[in-house]
Amino acid sequence: MTSAVTITRHGGTGGRTAVAARARQVVKAYGSGETRVVALDHVDVDIARGQFTAIMGPSGSGKSTLMHCLAGLDTVSSGQIHLDETEITGLKDKKLTQLRRDRIGFIFQAFNLLPTLNAIENITLPMDIAGRKPDKAWLAQVVETVGLADRLRHRPNQLSGGQQQRVAVARALAARPEIIFGDEPTGNLDSRAGAEVLGFLRRSVDDLGQTIVMVTHDPVAASYADRVLYLADGRIVDEMLRPTADAVLDRMKDFDARGRTS
Amino acid sequence: MTVFKTSMRNFFAHKGRMALSAVAVLLSVAFVCGTLVFTDTMNTTFDKLFATTSADVTVTPKAANNNEDPQNGKPESLPASVIDRAKQAEGVKSAEGAVSSMNVTVVDSDNDNMGSTTGAPTIAGNWTKNDLRSMEITSGHAPRGPTEVMVDSDTADKHHLKMGDELRTIAVTGDFKARIVGIATFKVTNPGAAVVYYDTATAQRELLGATGRFTQVNVTADAGVTHTQLKRNVSAELTGSGPALKVQTQKELSDENREGIGEFMNVIKYAMLGFAGIAFLVGIFLIINTFSMLVAQRTREIGLMRALGSSRKQVNRSVLFEALLLGVVGSVLGVAAGVGIAVGLMKLMSSAGMNLSTADLTVKAMTPVVGLVLGIVVTVLAAYLPARRAGKVSPMAALRDAGTPADGRAGWIRGIVGLVLTGAGAAALFTAAGAEKAADGSLMLGAGVVLSLIGFVIVGPLLAGGVVRAISAVLLRAFGPVGRLAERNALRNPRRTGATGAALMIGLALVACLSVVGSSMVASATEELDKSVGTDFIVQGNQRIVPQAQKAIESTPGMEHVTSYKLIEAELTSPDGRTEDSDVTAADPTYASDLRRETIAGELSAAYAKDSMSVGSDYAKKHGVKVGDTMTVAFKGGKTAKLKVAAVTDDDVAIDKGSRYMSIATMEQYVPADRIPPNDIMFATAEDGQEATAYAALKKALDPYPQYQVRDQTDYKQELKDQIGQLLNMVYGLLALAIIVAVLGVVNTLALSVVERTREIGLMRAIGLSRRQLRRMIRLESVVIALFGALLGLGLGMGWGATAQQLLALEGLKVLDIPWPTIIGVFIGSAFVGLFAALVPAFRAGRMNVLNAIATD
Repeated sequence: MTSAVTITRHGGTGGRTAVAARARQVVKAYGSGETRVVALDHVDVDIARGQFTAIMGPSGSGKSTLMHCLAGLDTVSSGQIHLDETEITGLKDKKLTQLRRDRIGFIFQAFNLLPTLNAIENITLPMDIAGRKPDKAWLAQVVETVGLADRLRHRPNQLSGGQQQRVAVARALAARPEIIFGDEPTGNLDSRAGAEVLGFLRRSVDDLGQTIVMVTHDPVAASYADRVLYLADGRIVDEMLRPTADAVLDRMKDFDARGRTS
Repeated sequence: MTVFKTSMRNFFAHKGRMALSAVAVLLSVAFVCGTLVFTDTMNTTFDKLFATTSADVTVTPKAANNNEDPQNGKPESLPASVIDRAKQAEGVKSAEGAVSSMNVTVVDSDNDNMGSTTGAPTIAGNWTKNDLRSMEITSGHAPRGPTEVMVDSDTADKHHLKMGDELRTIAVTGDFKARIVGIATFKVTNPGAAVVYYDTATAQRELLGATGRFTQVNVTADAGVTHTQLKRNVSAELTGSGPALKVQTQKELSDENREGIGEFMNVIKYAMLGFAGIAFLVGIFLIINTFSMLVAQRTREIGLMRALGSSRKQVNRSVLFEALLLGVVGSVLGVAAGVGIAVGLMKLMSSAGMNLSTADLTVKAMTPVVGLVLGIVVTVLAAYLPARRAGKVSPMAALRDAGTPADGRAGWIRGIVGLVLTGAGAAALFTAAGAEKAADGSLMLGAGVVLSLIGFVIVGPLLAGGVVRAISAVLLRAFGPVGRLAERNALRNPRRTGATGAALMIGLALVACLSVVGSSMVASATEELDKSVGTDFIVQGNQRIVPQAQKAIESTPGMEHVTSYKLIEAELTSPDGRTEDSDVTAADPTYASDLRRETIAGELSAAYAKDSMSVGSDYAKKHGVKVGDTMTVAFKGGKTAKLKVAAVTDDDVAIDKGSRYMSIATMEQYVPADRIPPNDIMFATAEDGQEATAYAALKKALDPYPQYQVRDQTDYKQELKDQIGQLLNMVYGLLALAIIVAVLGVVNTLALSVVERTREIGLMRAIGLSRRQLRRMIRLESVVIALFGALLGLGLGMGWGATAQQLLALEGLKVLDIPWPTIIGVFIGSAFVGLFAALVPAFRAGRMNVLNAIATD
């Protein structure tokens, strides 16, 4: 199921096409024969540049797998995935690592930061690894945006959960990746801290033109997105543009009911 | 018993993580058991050998001692009449005279020495019925007549001797040649002695320089007569007139024969056990680290058990039970491996020229017991601290977020205790360095070494911070962010880094200490040789210099003078009336210029005048002896002389310390000609400008006597250096065990850290750390830990070595020489050891699946 392509809002990250990432006929299966389990079943999806996309679905629907495949963390059984013009399916580990380092940002649910590095060192880590100098002005802006200016020398264990996730967001933004993937980035936070982090993500899309893909099962989190994709049994079964929390919740109840009756 | 069930499950679930600890226990236990089996096997071999070579009862001259060279180089002998008298004793089946000398060298027609290179003796004698107990003639026949000789098959094989080959026997009574007519083979294992046989008349004439005399009488018992009974009967028959005799049963003679070897074996045994002990000590750090990490990783699980109602004691015990299992597994495998090590050592000895047979392999019941008890007790003790820490885990831990364990902050108590101990150690070392007497100083040195070592181990985790940062600042800067990550990882848990480094520190401290002492020995000896030795050439060997070789040296052309040097046993009585047994040195007067000695009173040359002598300053001080005093010297086997003290030599030397000199002419007045010992050593000084030709001529003159080595000063110093170098290499070889265990410790720490940091590694890989960078990060961490241990160890060891040198300066070790190439080599080597240790952990980290590592469910 392919979605409509949205018009590019020209943002901070240079890209030539309106689609930041696309998947074509992606299959991800584990095992073989009788025990074969299909996690992704011929998925087609386009991630629009400069948009905030949420991927939702019940446990085991394949939403995390889809994100991992799009992000070059996992391999596919068949099909193609492109990041901008680059086909990432079939890339060797070395190229994939470089791609993740230079073109992708990550925010995980937990354990986002290295405990041995302080906040600012964590933020600049991907650039340090790549041997690139961070753009100072941009870095200052990112730090300012996430409101961490006075916490930069703190170690992760001296920061609250919300602060840690904000550092993770700052890290993802600092290298100006083409696309940021979030895996339940607010899953471990209370609603206030979660709202704070989601607010930053939203603003980075609106103000900085960042492309973000986020896996979540929280309707409130999904309501921050421009577009919500619903996955079930490894297939994209629906999508919703300009979602609200209530609408998302209703749609999910729908799926749940269908799931139970089927 | 659920606690034990959990322990068992944990143990088998984590067997991979325990593997290296088990290997450490295995190695240490194997070394202990290997040593025991090896030395027991050696003892069995010699027991069997001596039991078969000794007759039921043996009669020897009282003065003879199997473990000592006879004074005049000829074995003590007894007259043939003793045989006849022994035969008359009740219960004697037969009595037979035997001739045997160990003071010989046997060479082939190319002048190659047929003797063992491992220190085993060459034995020449007559072929008797008693020899049939231990040997059988496998080719040819027993020697008959003056030109026939029989040789043992091991020697024949080793030197490719055939029937008809000519052998020359060099004894103090002269050289003589004979052709091989027979080869005899030992029925038991002969570890290495070369044995040659002649007929009785030839042996008597050539070895004893006499007819009708024997070195011993072998008495065989009638059936039903015990050795003890026979000994009693023979003794009774032989008492009364005639020479003083010694009558021994088979067991008594074997025991006497074994004495010397037994002492030597004990030295080897305890030295090797000492090194095994060091390996154990190092292994303790490894085990502590393993259990600390396992407990830390299992904090949540332990918290849950506590929350569900397990008592502290139960948790504590469950960890100790795991340690017990580890100890049992490691020790059992270790005991088995120990037998393998013993066999390996025997093979090694065989390749060095010593015959040992695996048929004699002796595993005493005590060996596995010692191995198991040691292995298990050490393992459980080492796990005690981590087990206690596990017991202290609060039930709340179950509720807390997992992730990496909190940084183990090194407390201030640790700092104070460590510093106090290190300080006390330093004070003890300082006192030792300034000690007046070597005995007091060595006690302080020992205390200083132990205290400073413990202090360093305790304070290590505190030092880790500073030292690792310093090493990183120099070394890791070049590696940018990867270097920084490695540094942070090494610093993350100072206690772990400290313990891992400390394990390496121990082995390397000993290496550094010994290398400092060894190289100071070489430097001190070289300096003293340069200062005091005036002669050009030194001749010595493992047989005292026989008269025919002495003549060859003396008649070498181009020599300005040649000096004889003999040691004679004597009883010395000083003017204060005190008597002590002591060697005196009788030499030619030219010795005063061959070896220059400072005197504190009198002239050394005057000591070589008739009826004069010199004494050393220590002796002079102790007994208040002055120049002009008269000493009473009772020569062994000779008369008692009154000699005038003409000089007091300064004893602040290493060569000839305490020697008492007199001229050979003086000594000859009091000792009968046939009791005068051969030269122990000889010196030759070339005429000016003739050094090179004289050296060549002297070497040529000694060609027929391969048992002697001629060295000029350069060669002599080189030889000394080589010998000390060899000794050091052997000790380093034994220390390698401890270092291997320490390296396993580094591997272990890294491997467990990698497991512990799975999620971190996944995160880093996700955000773009390449495999190569990841592997480099782990390698660098390993290098930093290894260098930390090396830096501490080398520093500590050099301190010990320098203290030992200061202390031994009293014994002539005057020059402190730090072998920088060795020290720097070890330091750089440690970096490579670090790289090596990281190989597998880095490889495994690189292969880790990124998704599994970051998966949140």
